[in-house]
Amino acid sequence: MTIAAPSPLATIRATARGYLPRVFQGRGWVVASLVMVPVALSLVIYTVAHIKGAEGRPYPSEALRVFHEVLVKMMLPIMALVAAPAGIREDLEQRTLPLLLVRPAPAWALPLGKGLPWFAWGAIWLVLGALGLQVLGGDPALLPGRLLGLVGAWWGELALMTLVGLLFKRGTLWGALYFFLWEPLVRIFPPFLQRLTFTHHIESLAGSRAGQVHAHQLLAQEQVTTHPALALLALLAFGALCWALAGWKLQRTPVGLAGSEAEG
Amino acid sequence: MIKLDRASLRYGPILGLSPTTFELPDGGGITGLLGPNGAGKSSLLQLLSGLLPPSGGDVRVFGEAPFRNPAVLARLGMVPEGDRLPMGLRADRWLRMMGELSGLSGDGLKSAVARVLDTVGMADRAHLTFTRMSKGMRQRIRLAQALLHEPDLLILDEPFNGLDPEARLVLMALLRDLATQGTRVLVSSHILGEIAQLTDRILLLFRGRLLAEGTVTEIRQLLDRHPVELRLTGEAQALARWAVEQPELAALRMEDGGVVISVGSPRDLLPRLQKAAAEGAIPLRALDPLDLNLDAVFQYLTKDHA
Repeated sequence: MTIAAPSPLATIRATARGYLPRVFQGRGWVVASLVMVPVALSLVIYTVAHIKGAEGRPYPSEALRVFHEVLVKMMLPIMALVAAPAGIREDLEQRTLPLLLVRPAPAWALPLGKGLPWFAWGAIWLVLGALGLQVLGGDPALLPGRLLGLVGAWWGELALMTLVGLLFKRGTLWGALYFFLWEPLVRIFPPFLQRLTFTHHIESLAGSRAGQVHAHQLLAQEQVTTHPALALLALLAFGALCWALAGWKLQRTPVGLAGSEAEG
Repeated sequence: MIKLDRASLRYGPILGLSPTTFELPDGGGITGLLGPNGAGKSSLLQLLSGLLPPSGGDVRVFGEAPFRNPAVLARLGMVPEGDRLPMGLRADRWLRMMGELSGLSGDGLKSAVARVLDTVGMADRAHLTFTRMSKGMRQRIRLAQALLHEPDLLILDEPFNGLDPEARLVLMALLRDLATQGTRVLVSSHILGEIAQLTDRILLLFRGRLLAEGTVTEIRQLLDRHPVELRLTGEAQALARWAVEQPELAALRMEDGGVVISVGSPRDLLPRLQKAAAEGAIPLRALDPLDLNLDAVFQYLTKDHA
Protein backbone atom coordinates (compact mmCIF):
# COMPACT_ATOMS: atom_id res chain seq x y z
CA MET A 1 0.00 0.00 0.00
CA THR A 2 1.37 3.41 -0.95
CA ILE A 3 0.38 6.42 1.14
CA ALA A 4 1.29 10.04 0.49
CA ALA A 5 4.11 11.29 2.67
CA PRO A 6 3.01 13.63 5.48
CA SER A 7 3.52 17.36 5.09
CA PRO A 8 6.14 19.16 7.19
CA LEU A 9 3.38 20.66 9.32
CA ALA A 10 1.78 17.26 9.90
CA THR A 11 5.23 15.89 10.78
CA ILE A 12 5.87 18.64 13.33
CA ARG A 13 2.41 18.21 14.82
CA ALA A 14 2.68 14.43 15.04
CA THR A 15 6.16 14.51 16.56
CA ALA A 16 5.28 17.22 19.06
CA ARG A 17 2.15 15.38 20.16
CA GLY A 18 3.90 12.02 20.25
CA TYR A 19 6.75 13.19 22.44
CA LEU A 20 4.72 15.53 24.62
CA PRO A 21 4.53 13.01 27.51
CA ARG A 22 8.32 13.17 27.84
CA VAL A 23 8.13 16.66 29.33
CA PHE A 24 6.01 15.42 32.21
CA GLN A 25 8.73 13.04 33.31
CA GLY A 26 11.85 13.56 35.42
CA ARG A 27 13.76 15.84 33.10
CA GLY A 28 10.71 18.00 32.56
CA TRP A 29 10.32 18.59 36.30
CA VAL A 30 14.01 19.45 36.55
CA VAL A 31 13.44 22.10 33.89
CA ALA A 32 10.43 23.40 35.78
CA SER A 33 12.27 23.48 39.09
CA LEU A 34 15.15 25.43 37.59
CA VAL A 35 12.75 28.33 37.21
CA MET A 36 10.53 27.86 40.17
CA VAL A 37 13.00 26.94 42.90
CA PRO A 38 14.91 30.26 42.92
CA VAL A 39 11.68 32.24 42.61
CA ALA A 40 9.99 30.20 45.33
CA LEU A 41 13.07 30.43 47.54
CA SER A 42 13.13 34.20 47.16
CA LEU A 43 9.44 34.34 48.04
CA VAL A 44 10.01 32.21 51.13
CA ILE A 45 12.90 34.41 52.26
CA TYR A 46 10.80 37.52 51.70
CA THR A 47 7.84 36.01 53.56
CA VAL A 48 9.98 34.92 56.53
CA ALA A 49 11.61 38.34 56.67
CA HIS A 50 8.19 39.95 56.54
CA ILE A 51 6.88 37.74 59.37
CA LYS A 52 9.93 38.59 61.46
CA GLY A 53 9.01 42.21 61.26
CA ALA A 54 10.63 43.67 58.16
CA GLU A 55 8.80 46.78 57.16
CA GLY A 56 7.19 47.79 53.92
CA ARG A 57 6.97 46.30 50.50
CA PRO A 58 9.80 44.22 49.05
CA TYR A 59 12.45 46.10 47.15
CA PRO A 60 12.19 46.14 43.35
CA SER A 61 15.93 45.44 43.30
CA GLU A 62 15.27 41.97 44.70
CA ALA A 63 13.10 41.05 41.74
CA LEU A 64 15.68 42.57 39.40
CA ARG A 65 18.48 40.61 41.00
CA VAL A 66 16.65 37.30 40.82
CA PHE A 67 15.59 38.00 37.25
CA HIS A 68 18.98 39.07 35.88
CA GLU A 69 21.46 37.21 38.04
CA VAL A 70 19.60 33.97 38.60
CA LEU A 71 17.00 33.39 35.90
CA VAL A 72 18.67 34.99 32.89
CA LYS A 73 22.32 34.28 33.62
CA MET A 74 22.09 30.88 35.28
CA MET A 75 18.79 29.08 35.06
CA LEU A 76 17.83 29.84 31.47
CA PRO A 77 21.09 28.43 30.05
CA ILE A 78 20.90 25.43 32.36
CA MET A 79 17.34 24.81 31.22
CA ALA A 80 18.53 24.75 27.62
CA LEU A 81 21.45 22.48 28.53
CA VAL A 82 19.05 20.09 30.28
CA ALA A 83 16.15 20.15 27.82
CA ALA A 84 17.93 20.15 24.44
CA PRO A 85 19.52 16.70 24.88
CA ALA A 86 16.00 15.32 25.38
CA GLY A 87 15.13 16.48 21.88
CA ILE A 88 16.37 14.88 18.69
CA ARG A 89 19.79 14.28 20.29
CA GLU A 90 18.15 11.77 22.63
CA ASP A 91 17.02 9.65 19.68
CA LEU A 92 20.49 9.80 18.23
CA GLU A 93 22.08 8.60 21.46
CA GLN A 94 19.43 5.99 22.24
CA ARG A 95 19.60 4.71 18.66
CA THR A 96 15.90 5.20 18.15
CA LEU A 97 16.45 7.81 15.45
CA PRO A 98 16.49 5.22 12.62
CA LEU A 99 12.90 4.38 13.52
CA LEU A 100 11.96 7.97 12.68
CA LEU A 101 14.22 8.30 9.68
CA VAL A 102 12.79 5.30 7.83
CA ARG A 103 9.39 7.00 7.70
CA PRO A 104 8.47 9.04 4.63
CA ALA A 105 8.06 12.17 6.79
CA PRO A 106 10.55 14.99 6.08
CA ALA A 107 13.50 14.45 8.41
CA TRP A 108 14.26 18.16 8.61
CA ALA A 109 11.02 18.78 10.49
CA LEU A 110 11.84 16.32 13.28
CA PRO A 111 14.14 18.51 15.45
CA LEU A 112 11.51 21.24 15.68
CA GLY A 113 8.73 18.71 16.28
CA LYS A 114 10.65 17.15 19.14
CA GLY A 115 11.72 20.51 20.51
CA LEU A 116 8.33 22.22 20.57
CA PRO A 117 6.97 20.37 23.63
CA TRP A 118 10.09 21.36 25.54
CA PHE A 119 9.79 24.94 24.39
CA ALA A 120 6.14 25.09 25.47
CA TRP A 121 6.86 23.43 28.80
CA GLY A 122 9.78 25.72 29.61
CA ALA A 123 7.88 28.80 28.44
CA ILE A 124 4.99 28.00 30.80
CA TRP A 125 7.30 27.85 33.80
CA LEU A 126 9.24 30.92 32.76
CA VAL A 127 6.00 32.88 32.57
CA LEU A 128 5.01 31.58 36.00
CA GLY A 129 8.44 32.45 37.33
CA ALA A 130 8.26 35.97 35.95
CA LEU A 131 4.81 36.42 37.48
CA GLY A 132 6.17 35.16 40.79
CA LEU A 133 8.81 37.85 40.70
CA GLN A 134 6.07 40.45 40.76
CA VAL A 135 5.38 39.45 44.35
CA LEU A 136 8.98 40.36 45.11
CA GLY A 137 8.37 43.82 43.85
CA GLY A 138 8.87 43.55 40.13
CA ASP A 139 7.91 46.67 38.22
CA PRO A 140 4.55 45.93 36.49
CA ALA A 141 5.56 48.13 33.57
CA LEU A 142 8.52 45.86 32.88
CA LEU A 143 6.54 42.62 33.12
CA PRO A 144 5.66 42.29 29.39
CA GLY A 145 9.28 42.89 28.49
CA ARG A 146 10.46 40.33 31.01
CA LEU A 147 8.01 37.75 29.72
CA LEU A 148 8.96 38.34 26.11
CA GLY A 149 12.65 38.41 26.99
CA LEU A 150 12.56 35.12 28.84
CA VAL A 151 10.38 33.28 26.37
CA GLY A 152 12.22 34.69 23.34
CA ALA A 153 15.59 33.78 24.81
CA TRP A 154 14.32 30.32 25.76
CA TRP A 155 13.25 29.80 22.15
CA GLY A 156 16.67 30.83 20.89
CA GLU A 157 18.75 29.03 23.51
CA LEU A 158 16.84 25.76 23.15
CA ALA A 159 17.19 25.93 19.36
CA LEU A 160 20.88 26.75 19.64
CA MET A 161 21.53 23.81 21.97
CA THR A 162 19.56 21.47 19.69
CA LEU A 163 21.71 22.53 16.77
CA VAL A 164 24.94 22.27 18.75
CA GLY A 165 23.84 18.80 19.93
CA LEU A 166 23.57 17.68 16.31
CA LEU A 167 26.80 19.33 15.24
CA PHE A 168 29.04 18.17 18.06
CA LYS A 169 29.37 15.01 20.06
CA ARG A 170 29.99 17.07 23.17
CA GLY A 171 27.35 19.64 22.44
CA THR A 172 26.50 20.22 26.08
CA LEU A 173 30.09 21.16 26.83
CA TRP A 174 30.25 23.63 23.94
CA GLY A 175 26.91 25.05 25.01
CA ALA A 176 28.09 25.48 28.59
CA LEU A 177 31.22 27.24 27.39
CA TYR A 178 29.13 29.60 25.29
CA PHE A 179 26.69 30.42 28.05
CA PHE A 180 29.08 30.65 30.96
CA LEU A 181 32.21 32.03 29.31
CA TRP A 182 31.20 33.98 26.23
CA GLU A 183 28.03 35.56 27.57
CA PRO A 184 29.56 37.06 30.74
CA LEU A 185 32.97 37.87 29.27
CA VAL A 186 31.81 39.52 26.07
CA ARG A 187 31.40 42.77 27.96
CA ILE A 188 35.13 43.27 28.00
CA PHE A 189 35.25 43.07 24.21
CA PRO A 190 34.20 45.79 21.72
CA PRO A 191 30.63 46.88 22.47
CA PHE A 192 29.01 45.67 19.24
CA LEU A 193 29.84 42.07 20.25
CA GLN A 194 27.27 42.41 23.01
CA ARG A 195 24.68 41.94 20.30
CA LEU A 196 25.94 38.41 19.91
CA THR A 197 24.69 37.48 23.38
CA PHE A 198 21.28 36.48 24.64
CA THR A 199 21.84 38.65 27.70
CA HIS A 200 21.95 41.80 25.60
CA HIS A 201 18.64 41.07 23.89
CA ILE A 202 16.93 40.06 27.12
CA GLU A 203 18.08 43.27 28.74
CA SER A 204 16.90 45.26 25.74
CA LEU A 205 13.45 43.75 26.26
CA ALA A 206 13.27 43.52 30.03
CA GLY A 207 15.11 46.68 30.95
CA SER A 208 18.81 47.00 31.52
CA ARG A 209 20.24 46.05 34.83
CA ALA A 210 22.88 48.77 34.38
CA GLY A 211 21.15 51.02 36.86
CA GLN A 212 21.51 48.39 39.52
CA VAL A 213 25.14 47.55 38.79
CA HIS A 214 27.97 49.12 40.69
CA ALA A 215 30.90 50.59 38.85
CA HIS A 216 33.26 47.77 39.83
CA GLN A 217 30.90 45.22 38.27
CA LEU A 218 30.74 46.96 34.93
CA LEU A 219 33.50 45.70 32.68
CA ALA A 220 32.37 47.11 29.37
CA GLN A 221 33.40 50.59 28.34
CA GLU A 222 29.84 51.23 27.26
CA GLN A 223 26.60 49.32 27.00
CA VAL A 224 24.97 49.18 23.59
CA THR A 225 21.20 49.25 23.23
CA THR A 226 18.81 47.66 20.79
CA HIS A 227 15.17 48.56 20.29
CA PRO A 228 12.98 46.03 22.15
CA ALA A 229 11.10 45.05 19.01
CA LEU A 230 14.35 44.43 17.20
CA ALA A 231 15.70 42.48 20.15
CA LEU A 232 12.63 40.23 20.18
CA LEU A 233 12.85 39.79 16.43
CA ALA A 234 16.53 38.90 16.75
CA LEU A 235 15.80 36.22 19.36
CA LEU A 236 12.93 34.71 17.37
CA ALA A 237 14.83 34.82 14.09
CA PHE A 238 17.94 33.34 15.65
CA GLY A 239 15.88 30.50 17.13
CA ALA A 240 14.15 29.85 13.82
CA LEU A 241 17.51 29.84 12.06
CA CYS A 242 18.92 27.32 14.54
CA TRP A 243 15.88 25.03 14.16
CA ALA A 244 16.23 25.25 10.39
CA LEU A 245 19.94 24.47 10.53
CA ALA A 246 19.30 21.54 12.87
CA GLY A 247 16.73 20.21 10.40
CA TRP A 248 19.10 20.72 7.49
CA LYS A 249 21.85 18.90 9.37
CA LEU A 250 19.59 15.92 10.08
CA GLN A 251 18.25 15.86 6.54
CA ARG A 252 21.74 15.81 5.04
CA THR A 253 23.58 13.63 7.53
CA PRO A 254 23.48 9.86 7.15
CA VAL A 255 22.50 8.42 10.52
CA GLY A 256 22.95 4.69 10.68
CA LEU A 257 21.93 2.08 13.18
CA ALA A 258 25.04 2.76 15.23
CA GLY A 259 23.77 6.27 15.72
CA SER A 260 27.23 7.75 15.60
CA GLU A 261 27.55 8.95 12.05
CA ALA A 262 26.00 12.30 12.79
CA GLU A 263 28.39 13.06 15.58
CA GLY A 264 30.89 15.73 14.84
CA MET B 1 12.19 -4.50 -6.22
CA ILE B 2 15.76 -4.29 -4.94
CA LYS B 3 18.76 -3.79 -7.15
CA LEU B 4 22.33 -3.23 -6.03
CA ASP B 5 24.96 -2.47 -8.63
CA ARG B 6 28.43 -2.61 -7.12
CA ALA B 7 27.08 -0.80 -4.08
CA SER B 8 29.59 -0.35 -1.29
CA LEU B 9 29.63 1.33 2.08
CA ARG B 10 32.56 2.81 3.93
CA TYR B 11 32.75 4.03 7.52
CA GLY B 12 35.74 6.34 7.11
CA PRO B 13 38.66 4.07 6.34
CA ILE B 14 36.74 0.90 7.22
CA LEU B 15 34.93 -0.95 4.47
CA GLY B 16 31.54 -2.00 5.78
CA LEU B 17 30.35 -3.54 2.55
CA SER B 18 32.44 -4.43 -0.48
CA PRO B 19 31.03 -3.64 -3.92
CA THR B 20 27.97 -5.86 -4.03
CA THR B 21 25.63 -6.67 -6.86
CA PHE B 22 22.37 -8.53 -6.56
CA GLU B 23 18.67 -8.24 -7.34
CA LEU B 24 15.53 -9.25 -5.55
CA PRO B 25 12.45 -9.55 -7.73
CA ASP B 26 9.02 -8.06 -7.05
CA GLY B 27 6.44 -10.06 -5.18
CA GLY B 28 6.25 -11.76 -1.83
CA GLY B 29 8.68 -14.15 -0.27
CA ILE B 30 11.27 -14.28 2.44
CA THR B 31 14.94 -13.78 1.83
CA GLY B 32 17.42 -14.48 4.60
CA LEU B 33 20.52 -12.38 4.97
CA LEU B 34 23.09 -14.47 6.73
CA GLY B 35 26.48 -13.79 8.12
CA PRO B 36 28.42 -13.63 11.37
CA ASN B 37 28.66 -10.42 13.37
CA GLY B 38 30.52 -7.81 11.38
CA ALA B 39 29.74 -9.47 8.05
CA GLY B 40 28.07 -6.37 6.67
CA LYS B 41 24.42 -7.37 7.11
CA SER B 42 23.41 -4.19 8.91
CA SER B 43 25.38 -2.11 6.42
CA LEU B 44 23.48 -3.67 3.56
CA LEU B 45 20.14 -3.18 5.30
CA GLN B 46 20.97 0.45 6.06
CA LEU B 47 21.64 1.02 2.38
CA LEU B 48 18.35 -0.59 1.41
CA SER B 49 16.30 1.26 4.02
CA GLY B 50 17.75 4.63 3.08
CA LEU B 51 19.45 5.28 6.39
CA LEU B 52 22.83 5.56 4.70
CA PRO B 53 23.72 6.44 1.11
CA PRO B 54 26.18 4.14 -0.67
CA SER B 55 29.82 5.19 -0.72
CA GLY B 56 30.07 3.80 -4.24
CA GLY B 57 27.89 2.07 -6.79
CA ASP B 58 24.14 2.29 -6.97
CA VAL B 59 21.26 1.18 -4.75
CA ARG B 60 17.73 1.07 -6.13
CA VAL B 61 14.64 0.13 -4.20
CA PHE B 62 11.39 0.25 -6.15
CA GLY B 63 13.49 1.76 -8.93
CA GLU B 64 14.71 4.75 -6.90
CA ALA B 65 17.59 5.65 -4.60
CA PRO B 66 16.23 5.15 -1.07
CA PHE B 67 18.29 7.68 0.96
CA ARG B 68 15.80 10.24 2.42
CA ASN B 69 13.42 9.41 -0.41
CA PRO B 70 9.78 9.57 0.76
CA ALA B 71 8.55 7.67 -2.31
CA VAL B 72 10.65 4.66 -1.33
CA LEU B 73 10.19 4.98 2.42
CA ALA B 74 6.40 5.07 2.02
CA ARG B 75 6.56 1.50 0.70
CA LEU B 76 9.18 0.19 3.07
CA GLY B 77 9.02 -1.02 6.66
CA MET B 78 12.14 -1.38 8.75
CA VAL B 79 12.78 -3.06 12.08
CA PRO B 80 16.29 -2.02 13.12
CA GLU B 81 18.44 -4.23 15.31
CA GLY B 82 17.97 -4.13 19.07
CA ASP B 83 14.99 -3.50 21.28
CA ARG B 84 15.41 0.20 21.84
CA LEU B 85 12.35 2.38 21.94
CA PRO B 86 11.87 5.90 23.30
CA MET B 87 11.55 5.34 27.01
CA GLY B 88 8.60 6.67 28.91
CA LEU B 89 6.14 6.65 26.03
CA ARG B 90 3.03 4.51 25.72
CA ALA B 91 3.09 1.98 22.93
CA ASP B 92 -0.28 2.87 21.43
CA ARG B 93 0.42 6.60 21.40
CA TRP B 94 3.87 6.07 19.94
CA LEU B 95 2.44 3.84 17.22
CA ARG B 96 -0.09 6.51 16.48
CA MET B 97 2.72 9.00 15.99
CA MET B 98 4.64 6.59 13.78
CA GLY B 99 1.51 6.08 11.73
CA GLU B 100 1.12 9.82 11.27
CA LEU B 101 4.77 10.03 10.21
CA SER B 102 3.94 7.40 7.59
CA GLY B 103 1.18 9.56 6.19
CA LEU B 104 -1.79 7.91 7.90
CA SER B 105 -4.53 9.96 9.51
CA GLY B 106 -8.09 9.82 10.81
CA ASP B 107 -9.92 6.52 10.80
CA GLY B 108 -7.26 4.94 8.61
CA LEU B 109 -4.68 5.64 11.29
CA LYS B 110 -6.90 4.33 14.06
CA SER B 111 -7.66 1.11 12.24
CA ALA B 112 -4.00 0.65 11.22
CA VAL B 113 -2.86 0.91 14.84
CA ALA B 114 -5.55 -1.54 15.95
CA ARG B 115 -4.66 -3.93 13.12
CA VAL B 116 -0.93 -4.05 13.80
CA LEU B 117 -1.43 -4.38 17.54
CA ASP B 118 -3.71 -7.30 16.85
CA THR B 119 -1.24 -8.77 14.37
CA VAL B 120 1.62 -8.77 16.86
CA GLY B 121 -0.62 -9.85 19.73
CA MET B 122 -0.21 -6.69 21.78
CA ALA B 123 -3.71 -5.24 21.61
CA ASP B 124 -4.36 -5.75 25.31
CA ARG B 125 -0.98 -4.40 26.44
CA ALA B 126 -0.61 -1.39 24.17
CA HIS B 127 -1.40 1.02 26.98
CA LEU B 128 1.86 0.11 28.74
CA THR B 129 4.89 2.34 28.57
CA PHE B 130 7.99 0.87 26.96
CA THR B 131 9.81 0.84 30.28
CA ARG B 132 7.22 -1.62 31.62
CA MET B 133 7.50 -3.97 28.67
CA SER B 134 9.63 -7.06 28.33
CA LYS B 135 12.17 -7.36 25.55
CA GLY B 136 9.85 -9.63 23.59
CA MET B 137 6.98 -7.17 23.91
CA ARG B 138 9.18 -4.32 22.74
CA GLN B 139 10.30 -6.39 19.78
CA ARG B 140 6.68 -6.95 18.83
CA ILE B 141 5.97 -3.23 19.00
CA ARG B 142 9.00 -2.56 16.82
CA LEU B 143 7.57 -4.97 14.29
CA ALA B 144 4.15 -3.35 14.60
CA GLN B 145 5.54 0.10 13.70
CA ALA B 146 7.00 -1.34 10.52
CA LEU B 147 3.68 -2.83 9.47
CA LEU B 148 1.52 0.25 10.04
CA HIS B 149 1.54 1.42 6.44
CA GLU B 150 1.37 -2.11 4.96
CA PRO B 151 4.77 -1.94 3.27
CA ASP B 152 5.66 -3.86 0.13
CA LEU B 153 9.13 -4.48 1.49
CA LEU B 154 9.75 -5.37 5.12
CA ILE B 155 13.33 -5.31 6.37
CA LEU B 156 14.21 -6.85 9.73
CA ASP B 157 17.69 -6.67 11.21
CA GLU B 158 18.33 -9.55 13.63
CA PRO B 159 14.71 -9.66 14.78
CA PHE B 160 15.08 -12.88 16.74
CA ASN B 161 17.76 -11.60 19.10
CA GLY B 162 16.65 -11.89 22.68
CA LEU B 163 13.33 -13.55 21.93
CA ASP B 164 12.30 -16.68 23.76
CA PRO B 165 11.60 -19.79 21.64
CA GLU B 166 7.86 -19.28 21.69
CA ALA B 167 8.14 -15.66 20.60
CA ARG B 168 10.49 -16.72 17.81
CA LEU B 169 7.99 -19.19 16.49
CA VAL B 170 5.23 -16.60 16.64
CA LEU B 171 7.38 -14.10 14.76
CA MET B 172 8.34 -16.67 12.16
CA ALA B 173 4.71 -17.58 11.58
CA LEU B 174 3.88 -13.90 11.25
CA LEU B 175 6.62 -13.31 8.69
CA ARG B 176 5.49 -16.33 6.70
CA ASP B 177 1.94 -14.97 6.67
CA LEU B 178 3.13 -11.58 5.45
CA ALA B 179 5.21 -13.18 2.73
CA THR B 180 2.24 -15.24 1.63
CA GLN B 181 0.14 -12.08 1.40
CA GLY B 182 2.64 -10.54 -1.02
CA THR B 183 5.10 -8.70 1.20
CA ARG B 184 8.75 -9.14 0.35
CA VAL B 185 10.52 -9.87 3.65
CA LEU B 186 14.26 -9.43 4.02
CA VAL B 187 15.46 -10.73 7.35
CA SER B 188 19.00 -10.84 8.68
CA SER B 189 20.41 -13.16 11.27
CA HIS B 190 23.69 -14.65 12.34
CA ILE B 191 21.90 -17.75 13.65
CA LEU B 192 21.59 -20.05 10.74
CA GLY B 193 18.96 -22.33 12.18
CA GLU B 194 16.51 -19.45 12.43
CA ILE B 195 16.81 -18.58 8.78
CA ALA B 196 16.72 -22.23 7.76
CA GLN B 197 13.34 -22.54 9.48
CA LEU B 198 12.05 -19.43 7.78
CA THR B 199 13.24 -19.63 4.21
CA ASP B 200 15.61 -21.44 1.94
CA ARG B 201 16.45 -18.35 -0.10
CA ILE B 202 19.52 -16.74 1.35
CA LEU B 203 22.15 -14.12 0.76
CA LEU B 204 25.36 -15.03 2.51
CA LEU B 205 27.62 -12.21 3.64
CA PHE B 206 31.05 -12.51 5.17
CA ARG B 207 33.54 -9.74 5.95
CA GLY B 208 31.62 -7.24 3.88
CA ARG B 209 31.35 -9.47 0.82
CA LEU B 210 28.38 -11.24 -0.68
CA LEU B 211 29.62 -14.82 -0.78
CA ALA B 212 26.64 -16.59 -2.21
CA GLU B 213 23.04 -16.10 -3.25
CA GLY B 214 20.34 -18.68 -3.87
CA THR B 215 18.65 -21.57 -2.12
CA VAL B 216 20.55 -23.69 0.32
CA THR B 217 20.63 -26.47 -2.25
CA GLU B 218 21.85 -24.13 -5.00
CA ILE B 219 24.56 -22.84 -2.81
CA ARG B 220 25.46 -26.32 -1.76
CA GLN B 221 25.91 -27.20 -5.42
CA LEU B 222 28.54 -24.50 -5.64
CA LEU B 223 30.46 -26.42 -3.09
CA ASP B 224 31.06 -29.65 -4.86
CA ARG B 225 34.65 -29.63 -3.79
CA HIS B 226 33.43 -29.99 -0.22
CA PRO B 227 32.35 -33.54 0.44
CA VAL B 228 28.88 -34.12 1.85
CA GLU B 229 28.66 -36.28 4.94
CA LEU B 230 26.06 -39.04 4.94
CA ARG B 231 25.25 -41.38 7.78
CA LEU B 232 24.32 -44.91 6.61
CA THR B 233 22.61 -46.87 9.36
CA GLY B 234 22.74 -50.65 9.18
CA GLU B 235 25.32 -53.41 9.47
CA ALA B 236 28.52 -51.40 9.53
CA GLN B 237 30.96 -53.90 8.03
CA ALA B 238 28.81 -54.59 4.98
CA LEU B 239 28.06 -50.91 4.41
CA ALA B 240 31.75 -50.06 4.64
CA ARG B 241 32.65 -52.80 2.15
CA TRP B 242 30.14 -51.33 -0.35
CA ALA B 243 31.20 -47.76 0.28
CA VAL B 244 34.91 -48.21 -0.34
CA GLU B 245 34.14 -49.45 -3.84
CA GLN B 246 32.42 -46.16 -4.77
CA PRO B 247 34.56 -43.66 -6.74
CA GLU B 248 32.94 -40.62 -5.00
CA LEU B 249 34.07 -41.72 -1.55
CA ALA B 250 36.37 -39.19 0.12
CA ALA B 251 36.34 -40.50 3.71
CA LEU B 252 34.72 -43.19 5.82
CA ARG B 253 34.17 -43.44 9.57
CA MET B 254 32.84 -46.47 11.38
CA GLU B 255 30.22 -45.88 14.04
CA ASP B 256 28.05 -48.07 16.21
CA GLY B 257 25.25 -49.28 14.02
CA GLY B 258 26.52 -47.78 10.77
CA VAL B 259 29.07 -45.72 8.93
CA VAL B 260 29.54 -42.06 8.11
CA ILE B 261 30.84 -41.45 4.62
CA SER B 262 32.02 -38.28 2.92
CA VAL B 263 31.25 -38.16 -0.77
CA GLY B 264 32.27 -35.64 -3.37
CA SER B 265 29.18 -35.77 -5.52
CA PRO B 266 26.14 -37.13 -3.72
CA ARG B 267 23.89 -36.68 -6.76
CA ASP B 268 25.86 -39.40 -8.55
CA LEU B 269 26.16 -41.68 -5.57
CA LEU B 270 22.64 -41.55 -4.18
CA PRO B 271 20.88 -43.34 -7.07
CA ARG B 272 23.35 -46.24 -6.85
CA LEU B 273 22.93 -46.35 -3.09
CA GLN B 274 19.17 -46.42 -3.46
CA LYS B 275 19.37 -49.21 -6.05
CA ALA B 276 21.75 -51.30 -3.95
CA ALA B 277 19.50 -50.95 -0.90
CA ALA B 278 16.38 -51.85 -2.92
CA GLU B 279 18.07 -54.96 -4.32
CA GLY B 280 19.23 -56.03 -0.88
CA ALA B 281 22.87 -55.71 -1.82
CA ILE B 282 23.55 -53.63 1.30
CA PRO B 283 21.88 -53.84 4.72
CA LEU B 284 20.81 -50.15 4.80
CA ARG B 285 18.16 -49.21 7.32
CA ALA B 286 18.45 -45.40 7.24
CA LEU B 287 20.21 -42.60 5.37
CA ASP B 288 20.80 -39.18 6.93
CA PRO B 289 22.64 -36.27 5.32
CA LEU B 290 24.67 -34.74 8.14
CA ASP B 291 25.70 -31.47 6.63
CA LEU B 292 23.26 -30.57 3.91
CA ASN B 293 22.02 -27.70 6.01
CA LEU B 294 22.77 -24.03 6.42
CA ASP B 295 25.32 -24.52 9.12
CA ALA B 296 27.47 -26.67 6.88
CA VAL B 297 27.09 -24.31 3.94
CA PHE B 298 27.97 -21.38 6.12
CA GLN B 299 31.01 -23.07 7.59
CA TYR B 300 32.30 -24.18 4.20
CA LEU B 301 31.93 -20.79 2.60
CA THR B 302 33.33 -18.81 5.46
CA LYS B 303 36.23 -21.23 5.84
CA ASP B 304 37.13 -20.62 2.22
CA HIS B 305 37.14 -16.86 2.67
CA ALA B 306 38.65 -16.67 6.12
